Amino acid sequence: MKKISINQCGILMVLCIFANKILLMPSLMYHQTSADSIFVLLVLFLLDFIMLPIFIKLKKVYKDDKFYDVLKAKIGVFFTKLIYIALLIFFMFKCLLVFSITYVYFKQQIYQEEFIFLALIAFLPVINHAIFVGVRSFSRTIELFFWIVIAGFIFCLVISLFTPISMPLFFTSNSSEFFSSMYNHVFAFGDFIFFFLIMDRIDFNKGKTKNLYFYSLFAMFLVLILFFLFYAKYQSTAFMHNNALADLLVFSVQFNAIGRLDIIAMLTIMFITLFQIEIFSYAFCDCFMSIFPLNKTFSVVIFDILFLLLYYVFIGKYETMVASSLFWLPYLAVFVNYLIPIIVIFLLLRLKNNINDS
Amino acid sequence: MSYFNVEQEVKKVKTTLNECVDFSYRYYKKDKQKLAFIFLKSIIDSQLFSSALYFPLQTYEGEFSFDILKNDLIKCVDIKEVKKEEIVDEVLDGRVILLTNFSDRILSIDLLKFPTRIPSEPPTSPVIQGPREGFVEDLQTNVTLIRRRIKSQDLVMDVVRVGTKTQTKVCITYLKGIANKKIVKEIRQKLSKIEIDGVLDSYNILYCLEKRPGSLFKQIGNTEKPDIVVSKLLEGKVAIIVDNSPIVLTIPFIFIEDLQNSNDYYTNHHYSSFVRIIRLLGLLIALIAPGFYLALQLFHYNILPLNFLITIADTTQGLPFTPFLEILFIFLLFQVLYEVSLRLPSYLGLATSVVGALILGDTGVKAGLISPPGVIIVALSKIALYTIPEQAPQITVLQLVFIVLGGSLGLIGIVSGMVYIVNYLNDFDSFSTPYLAPYSPRINQDLKDAILMNPSFSMKHRPQSFSPEKKERT
Repeated sequence: MKKISINQCGILMVLCIFANKILLMPSLMYHQTSADSIFVLLVLFLLDFIMLPIFIKLKKVYKDDKFYDVLKAKIGVFFTKLIYIALLIFFMFKCLLVFSITYVYFKQQIYQEEFIFLALIAFLPVINHAIFVGVRSFSRTIELFFWIVIAGFIFCLVISLFTPISMPLFFTSNSSEFFSSMYNHVFAFGDFIFFFLIMDRIDFNKGKTKNLYFYSLFAMFLVLILFFLFYAKYQSTAFMHNNALADLLVFSVQFNAIGRLDIIAMLTIMFITLFQIEIFSYAFCDCFMSIFPLNKTFSVVIFDILFLLLYYVFIGKYETMVASSLFWLPYLAVFVNYLIPIIVIFLLLRLKNNINDS
Repeated sequence: MSYFNVEQEVKKVKTTLNECVDFSYRYYKKDKQKLAFIFLKSIIDSQLFSSALYFPLQTYEGEFSFDILKNDLIKCVDIKEVKKEEIVDEVLDGRVILLTNFSDRILSIDLLKFPTRIPSEPPTSPVIQGPREGFVEDLQTNVTLIRRRIKSQDLVMDVVRVGTKTQTKVCITYLKGIANKKIVKEIRQKLSKIEIDGVLDSYNILYCLEKRPGSLFKQIGNTEKPDIVVSKLLEGKVAIIVDNSPIVLTIPFIFIEDLQNSNDYYTNHHYSSFVRIIRLLGLLIALIAPGFYLALQLFHYNILPLNFLITIADTTQGLPFTPFLEILFIFLLFQVLYEVSLRLPSYLGLATSVVGALILGDTGVKAGLISPPGVIIVALSKIALYTIPEQAPQITVLQLVFIVLGGSLGLIGIVSGMVYIVNYLNDFDSFSTPYLAPYSPRINQDLKDAILMNPSFSMKHRPQSFSPEKKERT
């Protein structure tokens, strides 16, 4: 089987951690918890981070076993399929959310008109091809562009320092707002679950597992810095700026005299978006093929049909998508982000008891 | 004991070879003893034939025996005994067959000689410093050029014949204990499966060795320089030398190899690193400059700095073509001029340049058919293409793809195109070697000789990308 190294796994983790957090989320969160959103983010990150040792432990125990097979052996086919259906929906909406948020950004900033057909023509073949070539090939591609993307990301952060910033005002939200914000934005988190799905395709002999901690902490740190700089720069008008990473550059007047530097943000966001959709669509197809005994081509066709249908029929309006992510998708996210890891912990504990008994 | 009827045997061979114009034979009679030499006069050394074969027979006074002929009289280096059914093949190989009526044994003597080129600097890979020798069309000379550089008992050179009609010799060359055994085995298997009537050049077997024969991308390395082949053999690769071809194939191949040049190893490594960065930039400019320009002009003009935008707006005003058609037109014009300049005799080359550059380019701009920025962008991409001449055919096709992507989808099209291509390249491994190594996947040890080059003395390990049997360079 074609496997990925720990380094590549860490890089995928970074991309997953960036997903849905670098454009719209800072301004959405600011609505509810103003600058305290940074603490909301921190807590949600911590909850995510806990999943990493669970994942590593599971991988070490079950080595090359498929997550689906592990679940099936422990909780039966019915419950396993139920979990996988939840994952299927989770990843489909992740794809849609990433796509629709970035699409709106491109529409406003670059194309300045409706270009949905162009976006779909550009994105779908690449995504479909990525599913066909598999996780090893597209993680290698991401590895090739990784440091370029990170350099672009850091460049955006650094340039924002050349405009006046001031410490955002913290501790203005009450606990109800805090937890409400946590709940509303939980769908943008929990991306670690992807690695449970592909655990049989990760070679733990290639590299050190501690690198996974490094990569995830590094990505979380970058997102936290982005939030901080964004709030520090825009203060109480932060909720009006919907494209955090790009907006850090746009108003850097001194640098804009050289030329439009936000092209760097545009390219960075394009790459990040494309890679994230590749990851989530692959996860969707993987779940689909586990639930239904069908081939890859069929799963790709189903993905495309569902993606287009849901986009046009259900989420065609950007506001609907965002509202969905805030109000009903959190139910799903809580199940996927926290319930599945609990099941995994239970499995591990049961295994430990079995070993002790024997 | 059954002795040969030499006349009858000569007649048989003559008939088998369709009484070819260059078929020849000579008899030598002494008393009752009769000898016959069979050969193709077009591919043997006739002087050597007289001096080393015929003359000693004339001067010998005793009775001939087969052993005397083989051991004492014939003054050639390469003599062997062959079977009766091998006679025709041996003759076709440029050897002289000696039959006698007093023995049933047959001698085959190597007197092969045909016009060959002297090893000279190949036009495709000139060097400023370093060896200038290049391979020629003769397999034996090419083998000599490699053997001269590797005086090791581990050098293996296996010859197989490919082509049912041409019976071309294909030499699999590698260093035992260094080259990966699995790769050597795979090459052997692939060569044995080739079913083709003729192999005229190494390119004829190239497609049979590739993992994806229909792919646009180069999957097997090629060079005309023995020093490069030897350095690749030392890295653990396998070289395939084909008779009648000056191009030697090297396997496995990775993309970064085309960014490397033999000059890099004969100059300061800092300068070599700089040149490699320039080549990479050249590759990127060649690949996406026209498409990127189109994307900016058609979809993202607000990204362009104001002064640049004004210049473009001024020069493109009133053009009869859309920007997309304009770039496409200039691109095709350049390609036509390039093709013409390749095929025209050199004395007409100047005229082509004048017609292309001055009349078509300058007058086209003055007539308002094409814009100066369009000409500059396409010209820049065409010039940049030749920073990596080995990749020129592939990049030319991809330029066109990116023109279409940039012109129809804008920046998103270009980014998607790039990701698609890299995904595709990452999907195929050339003989178990990742195509985009050492960057994707990252192989830290191999980065010493990637874009940024370390001094040669620090490269103490062979590239891990090729999975050599022996990793250390000792």
